[in-house]
Amino acid sequence: MKTFLKPLLKPFAAFFEGHAKAHYRLERHSLGLTAAIIVAAGIGGFIEIAPLFTIDETVEAAPDMRLYTPLEQAGRDIYIREGCYACHSQMIRALRDEVERYGPYSLAAESQYDHPMLWGSKRTGPDLARLGEKYSDDWHVRHLVDPRALVPESVMPHYAFLLDAGLDVESLPDRLAALRAVGVPYSDEMIASASADAIGQALPDTDRADGVFDRYGEETAVRLFDGSADRVSEMDALVAYLQVLGRLTDLPAQIQPVPEG
Amino acid sequence: MISSLTQAERGAAMLITLAGMVAGLAMAAAGQGDPMGAHGWIVLLFFALFFGLLARAAYGSDELEDRSLAYYDDPTKVGILLSLAWAVIAMGMGVWVAAQLAWPDLRFDAAWSGFGRLRPVHTSGVIFGFGGNALIATSFHIMQRTSRARMPGQVAPWFVLFGFNLFCLIAASGYLMGVTQSKEYAEPEWYADIWLVVVWVVYFTLYIRTLARRREPHIYVANWYYLAFILVVAVLHIVNNLAVPASWTGAKSYSAFSGVQDAMTQWWYGHNAVAFFLTSGFLGMLYYFLPKRAERPIYSYRLSILSFWGITFFYIWAGSHHLHYTALPHWVQTLGMTFSVMLLVPSWASAGNALMTLNGAWHKVRDDATLRFMMVAAVFYGLSTFEGSFMAIRPVNGLSHYTEWTIGHVHAGAMGWVALITFGSIYALVPGLWRRETMYSWKAVEWHFWIALAGTVIYVFAMWNSGIIQGLMWRTYGESGTLRYSFTDSLVAMHPYYVARAFGGLLFVTGAIIGAWNVVMTIRHVPRQVPERDHPTTSETMEPALPAAE
Amino acid sequence: MEISHELFVGFSKSFGLFYLIALSVGITLYAFWPSLGGRFDKAAKSILDDEDGPCR
Repeated sequence: MKTFLKPLLKPFAAFFEGHAKAHYRLERHSLGLTAAIIVAAGIGGFIEIAPLFTIDETVEAAPDMRLYTPLEQAGRDIYIREGCYACHSQMIRALRDEVERYGPYSLAAESQYDHPMLWGSKRTGPDLARLGEKYSDDWHVRHLVDPRALVPESVMPHYAFLLDAGLDVESLPDRLAALRAVGVPYSDEMIASASADAIGQALPDTDRADGVFDRYGEETAVRLFDGSADRVSEMDALVAYLQVLGRLTDLPAQIQPVPEG
Repeated sequence: MISSLTQAERGAAMLITLAGMVAGLAMAAAGQGDPMGAHGWIVLLFFALFFGLLARAAYGSDELEDRSLAYYDDPTKVGILLSLAWAVIAMGMGVWVAAQLAWPDLRFDAAWSGFGRLRPVHTSGVIFGFGGNALIATSFHIMQRTSRARMPGQVAPWFVLFGFNLFCLIAASGYLMGVTQSKEYAEPEWYADIWLVVVWVVYFTLYIRTLARRREPHIYVANWYYLAFILVVAVLHIVNNLAVPASWTGAKSYSAFSGVQDAMTQWWYGHNAVAFFLTSGFLGMLYYFLPKRAERPIYSYRLSILSFWGITFFYIWAGSHHLHYTALPHWVQTLGMTFSVMLLVPSWASAGNALMTLNGAWHKVRDDATLRFMMVAAVFYGLSTFEGSFMAIRPVNGLSHYTEWTIGHVHAGAMGWVALITFGSIYALVPGLWRRETMYSWKAVEWHFWIALAGTVIYVFAMWNSGIIQGLMWRTYGESGTLRYSFTDSLVAMHPYYVARAFGGLLFVTGAIIGAWNVVMTIRHVPRQVPERDHPTTSETMEPALPAAE
Repeated sequence: MEISHELFVGFSKSFGLFYLIALSVGITLYAFWPSLGGRFDKAAKSILDDEDGPCR
């Protein structure tokens, strides 16, 4: 084999030799090796990532989509704080059984304002992408306070302490402003009245509640989420968030896609 | 340890700790009423501790030894002890969260003890606390030996080691307070992320400066793997953690990315954290300690180069296999799948290379539990990379994703590969490092090996079974054409496996405790052995590091 | 030329492939180039005898 290849490769020997020497020089200098690693991993990575900088062009337009209200966003932050994403996904895949179990498969547009996304990677509990308004507020509160009272087989931790924890509404304007900085189109007015809106959404039939309708639409759920008008609790926020999951836009139901598999 | 620092180094170290205390105080003041304030106090106390230690020894003797004659191993020693401590804590945490899934009442009533808050303590504690400390410690050891040169300074290695542990401490304490970005394996908030970048830059500089001092013409391949680990993790960490804090006085921040873009960025990070944190660095360990322990050179050095570039290049593309059938564009999913399958080639090349190295030394594997740790690690590496490539195939992933199978796969890698190679390396390293004849108890090493292996096998089989059952139950249709099982049905079916999993994990952490005990006893009770040589041997090749022509 | 998503995707799909091939060929040549064999062998053996400084 070798004797056969040798005459064949001879004309290129100088080139190959040079190539190999160049390589050798590259990795005998540590910075050369560093550069080579960056080139190999970096360019590969960049080529893969590059299309994603413009991926928003591929995201379906959802003109009717509304933003999270301050209360819902606060609930989302609690959902993150408690690590709910470790056991619940929010991404219905385009598979027949998932669509039948959870509803129309998730579209990219639905999480376009989610910083960060909460698609999840594990379903110790069921998917929550279309949980909104599937159960009553009361069910959610009782379930969060004692999951096994409603679902005896459940292994979910209880979150009774959310009922007693007052919601921090003062930081909400800052939070909405940060979200606007990363691309969520909150208006100045929404940011300025974020604290009042958060309280208003959990206290129906008040002036502040009217402000929520004005800014986030008539369909916004304004209710006593935790069943108590005394104060706005973290439970109010979390339940408000759970009740809006999958309900920010009608697009998935309109498209009614045909699933794979 | 401080006594070996020069006056100038002590001064520099005190300045750094002072700066750290000021930063901690600023954080504590600015972040009042927010978890960030608590973190400020932790930072303050952390640096105050080192400041106190330094101040106590400030006027000690200024040793004038010839440092070029010795490697600097103190940071390696401390790193190994820290790694073992994190192993026991984080694996113990893993047993607790596993038990919570089997017996949910073990959650008790505190806000901090819920599964969602404890889980990242387990994952970060194992990956960064146990794995990261082991990587830093062994990299210090290996880079000096393969370069036959001492590290350039004595402050930088301590800064890297303790700075990294401060990051781990902030991360773990933050999760308990609910401070998280929710990005898996990148949960710590913005100030912790910025701190890690600082530490990492120093780490990289230290590595490069040590390599620059080397008296060996060729950079041994283990260093390539460590370098790739340091470099790529830096890039991944910076990109994935780009975020805007809600305020400079609070921990909460919002990711710069959203939706599908964020998902892709996160799993580009997530999968390459597996690649460059949990694979590349530990392969560096394998390529050094396995040949050394077996007293045979690596079977094919060429293959190790080939698989190095293969792993470096292919892994970067594979992340999107975490997002099959989701809203991610189809072609990106296919790309991730293709590269994941191709990854099998360099991965098996590495595993095969390790096992072929042992060919002809199987009697050593039989007699020496330390070498057996490394051998079984290589086998599990081969197994879990095969499994990974398999699970990245779209239809397989359709079944396995979101189920316990993923957990089983991860733990086959984390317990079988990462932890076993680390324990093997630690056992290989400890006696030499502390100048002891042998480990305190070789029987304990043997026990650790078998307990760890049994724990891994029980864990992994429980999760494989439960995952496949779960996946199948979710997609089973009854005769009427409707879904046969409710989600709750599938959850009930998991219970026995959750119990078995907790038991497997308990065995594994028991092994880790035995290992930690054995290391401590070795240091405390085994008599000191005078080394045969007390200077780095010169390069066999007798070549100058840089050829005369250059 | 407009910077669009299609452009990036096209670039990734075409250039990425050639980059992959070029890199693979280059690395393979390097790793198996005969004249470097001796150096690699020396490197592989170099770690077996690198001990050891005193630990203080």
